[in-house]
Amino acid sequence: MGEVTVEALKETSLDIFEGELLVILGPSGSGKSTLLNIMGGMDLPSSGDVFFGEENLSKASESRLTHYRRSAVGFVFQFYNLIPDLTARENVELAANLVDNPLPTTEVLQEVGMESRMDHFPAQLSGGEQQRVSIARAVGKNPRLLLCDEPTGSLDSQTGRLILAMLLHVSKEHGSTVVIVTHNAAIGAMAQRVLRMSSGRIIEIIENETPLPPERVEW
Amino acid sequence: MFILAKKLWRTIKTTRGQFLAVTAVVMVGITVYISMGTVSYNMIQSKDQFYRENNFADYYFHVIKAPEGVIKQVEAVPGVSRATGRIQKDVPVIGENNERATARLTSYPLPMNTEVNRLHLLTGRLFEKYPEGGGAEVLLDPQYAAANRLAPGDTVTIVAEGRQVSLTVVGTATAPEFIYPMKDPASLLPEPGNFGIFMMPHNQVQQILNLSGQINQVVIKLSPGADEKNVAKQIDGILEPYGRLASYPRKQQLSDTVMSGEMDQLRIMSRFLPSIFLIIAALIEFVMLGRLVKSQRSQIGTMKAMGYNNFQIMWHYTSYAVLVGLLGALLGSLAGVLLASSLSNLYAYFFNLPQVVSGISGQALLYGFALSLSVGAVAGLTASRGVLAVQPAESMQPEAPRGAGKIFLESWAWFWRRLDTTWKMGLRTIIRNRIRSAITLLGVIFATSMLIVAFFYQDTVDVMIAEFFTQKYDYFVRFTEPVRETDLLGITRLNGVTEAEPVFEVPVKIHFAGRSQEELLVGLPADTTMQKLTSKTGTPLRLPDTGLLISSSTARKLQVLVGDIVEVETLLPLGPTHRSTVKVMGINQQFIGGMSYLTLEEANRIMQENQLISGAMLKVDLGQTSLVEAKLNDMTGVSSILSRLAEMEGFTSQLDYMYVFIAIMVAFAMLLGFAIVYNASVISFAERKRELAALRVMGFTIQEVSGLLLKENLLQTLLGVALGLPFGRFLAEYYIQAMMSTSDVYSTYTFRVVIYPMTYVLSALGGILFIMAAYQLAVRGIKTLDLVEVLKTRD
Repeated sequence: MGEVTVEALKETSLDIFEGELLVILGPSGSGKSTLLNIMGGMDLPSSGDVFFGEENLSKASESRLTHYRRSAVGFVFQFYNLIPDLTARENVELAANLVDNPLPTTEVLQEVGMESRMDHFPAQLSGGEQQRVSIARAVGKNPRLLLCDEPTGSLDSQTGRLILAMLLHVSKEHGSTVVIVTHNAAIGAMAQRVLRMSSGRIIEIIENETPLPPERVEW
Repeated sequence: MFILAKKLWRTIKTTRGQFLAVTAVVMVGITVYISMGTVSYNMIQSKDQFYRENNFADYYFHVIKAPEGVIKQVEAVPGVSRATGRIQKDVPVIGENNERATARLTSYPLPMNTEVNRLHLLTGRLFEKYPEGGGAEVLLDPQYAAANRLAPGDTVTIVAEGRQVSLTVVGTATAPEFIYPMKDPASLLPEPGNFGIFMMPHNQVQQILNLSGQINQVVIKLSPGADEKNVAKQIDGILEPYGRLASYPRKQQLSDTVMSGEMDQLRIMSRFLPSIFLIIAALIEFVMLGRLVKSQRSQIGTMKAMGYNNFQIMWHYTSYAVLVGLLGALLGSLAGVLLASSLSNLYAYFFNLPQVVSGISGQALLYGFALSLSVGAVAGLTASRGVLAVQPAESMQPEAPRGAGKIFLESWAWFWRRLDTTWKMGLRTIIRNRIRSAITLLGVIFATSMLIVAFFYQDTVDVMIAEFFTQKYDYFVRFTEPVRETDLLGITRLNGVTEAEPVFEVPVKIHFAGRSQEELLVGLPADTTMQKLTSKTGTPLRLPDTGLLISSSTARKLQVLVGDIVEVETLLPLGPTHRSTVKVMGINQQFIGGMSYLTLEEANRIMQENQLISGAMLKVDLGQTSLVEAKLNDMTGVSSILSRLAEMEGFTSQLDYMYVFIAIMVAFAMLLGFAIVYNASVISFAERKRELAALRVMGFTIQEVSGLLLKENLLQTLLGVALGLPFGRFLAEYYIQAMMSTSDVYSTYTFRVVIYPMTYVLSALGGILFIMAAYQLAVRGIKTLDLVEVLKTRD
């Protein structure tokens, strides 16, 4: 069986502004995750340039990319990906220890409402709780960019709304830029800008003058 | 089922590293089983055939001397099918440079046709009763001939009845009783340079030894179904008037004892080693398949939903292990059969078996396959029993994160609080994955202890040699017959001899509580400075004024304790036997030889003699050794001269095979440790890919993630090594115990397990090094971990 080359992303150009909340919408296979991965320094584009401030990430070495992920980016995954052998607090500490000016662990966990369950292991937490710890872990590094891949994808809508509210709250609190990738169009309502993707292309960028508070987003 | 076969094939392809590692373990196990099993089978067949063809005696009877006619009487005893009378006597040989050796002169009635204990001609021709042109002809055992570079046509000179007799060598020969030509049980190994079997026609030996019409040994074959003990008793009765010295069955014959001991060892090894390999292979398969079943939970659920039954699915996973077994058995059989033929020849050479049956043991092959396949099937079925518990609907849900709750270490708050997060993670991972950690630990313990077992032998022999050397004398001289102590002056006055101490050696049989054991009593001056006597704990012992320092091996066999009174019966070839009692005053531990010590006065009391000695220990000016040797060789009353240095050289040169043994053990230890650690690491790595990818995404560098895994691995490795070192010592003790109890020959030596500190250090370092290597190989994928891929899918 030979290798099949799949072009995930084509002729895409995009600016993201500091402090904004951007939602990238699209069906499976639209290239939205590839875009997020490239933004997060996990993947390199086969052609074109990616800049973070002045730095051209598409020309960066593996160690430079690691440093970028370490210092500038916080990730929130669909499946939380907490370390099962560490408690909630330790999961946050593990990430915080990577940077020079982390936010106090207890404070971040308080912000996501997990102060009473800090010493629990992932297996002892519900999906929503795990995702909250995962947000605290991403935010604890005090990153300039918070990237969220289907953060509500494994959660029921009520818990999902709670998670979105928390994301919005902490990013405002610490002034970080938030990019959320989702196939759930309803989430777009809370963003300042919504990017619609299909078949590896950006088909539409919608500016939203009056974003809804997450509590009122319905799906 | 074709589709499942395809799936199996792909699983094998993706896990090929592990598949090959387990297959290698199975293969080595089967190789060892088949090769050693076949060799063991071949050797026993060859030995039996050789014994049969040459009519090896069932029972031996030694007398001082008896008329030849007594054979007719012996043959008349019911149960005796054939009896042969012969003469066997040790006489000195004088070499080209006057050096001494011992010849065991053995006579053969001609024609040999139906006689008991026939010889087997190897080179040259059979001796003649009356050679043309007079003189006498001799056949030599091949080792002696080779060591002394003797070929047909050469002459050898022996001393018999005070005369020098020249014999013409006509070839080499061997016989069932001389397969292992050792002088006596006190010799550690055959010394072909100093001791040889000289085979001659009966009439010639009678003439040389002035024993016309006489014999001193009767060897018999029993009729089928005869009562051995009863027959022996009757013959003992017949021989009583002729000065009966000893009678014993074939299995106490020295060569046969060694032979049987070696074969027992071979048989034990051919079962013990493969079992270890197969058990370890089973453990690895168990863990691997357990993990495979767990990771393919949702696939199993889907298959069940589609209508596959439990058996089909379990069989699918079990076939992985069965395939490992099949491939391992195939490769192992091939390697085993190849190895068996060269090993058989090697062993045949080692045992001096002139002919080897080199068949392929179909039974060993069959058992090898059956064993390998059933181990695979059992491991596979046990590991895949998890399939039964999978519910189709539930299995589609992602599995809950593993393990929760605190581990026991966390209750030590002062300790736990000081730990870095990564250490906490490592410790929890190890403790929560108990089975896998235990198996890794087992692998490390095993590998480290095998290294100890491989190396300890060298240390032990090293100490043995060192202690052997601490005996203070340079030469041990034996006289042809006992002399007065004052006669020693002739030797003491020799130029170059700085000191001399008399010795009186008395061969005896010690009786105690219904048991008996042959032993050499060595009488020494009460204040001996040339013989070092030590207790079991290594402290020096003083010779008691009265009583005996019994050797530890004899004490063990007779179950004698200090303070017991034993009866000794003298076994001198001439003169009447004397019986007397003597008190055991202490137990003397020596590495080599079954010897017990007492004062010269006590030895004389037992012999009912006064001031007799049978030899001397000499200290010699190192510059004049050859001069002293030459002068001693010229003395007529001297029967043998043992040089400590030469003896040691002979001994150490025989130990070369030890290094082969060490190399094989080290290779095995490496392979096992490697396979276990590699597999456990691969599994652990596969299970934690998501976790590690998450760390990488968070910004951990490759070095940091590797460091994290390394911490975990180091914890297990260090613990394993720490436990493996004492376990290795335990195995070494066990090995020595087993060796001494399975073989009568080894039981005459007292091995003490000695392990130098450096051996521990080397074993530990060796263990850590290759375990780390296996580990690094297993987790090399960390560098190419596809962050995006791993995080996207939920397995």
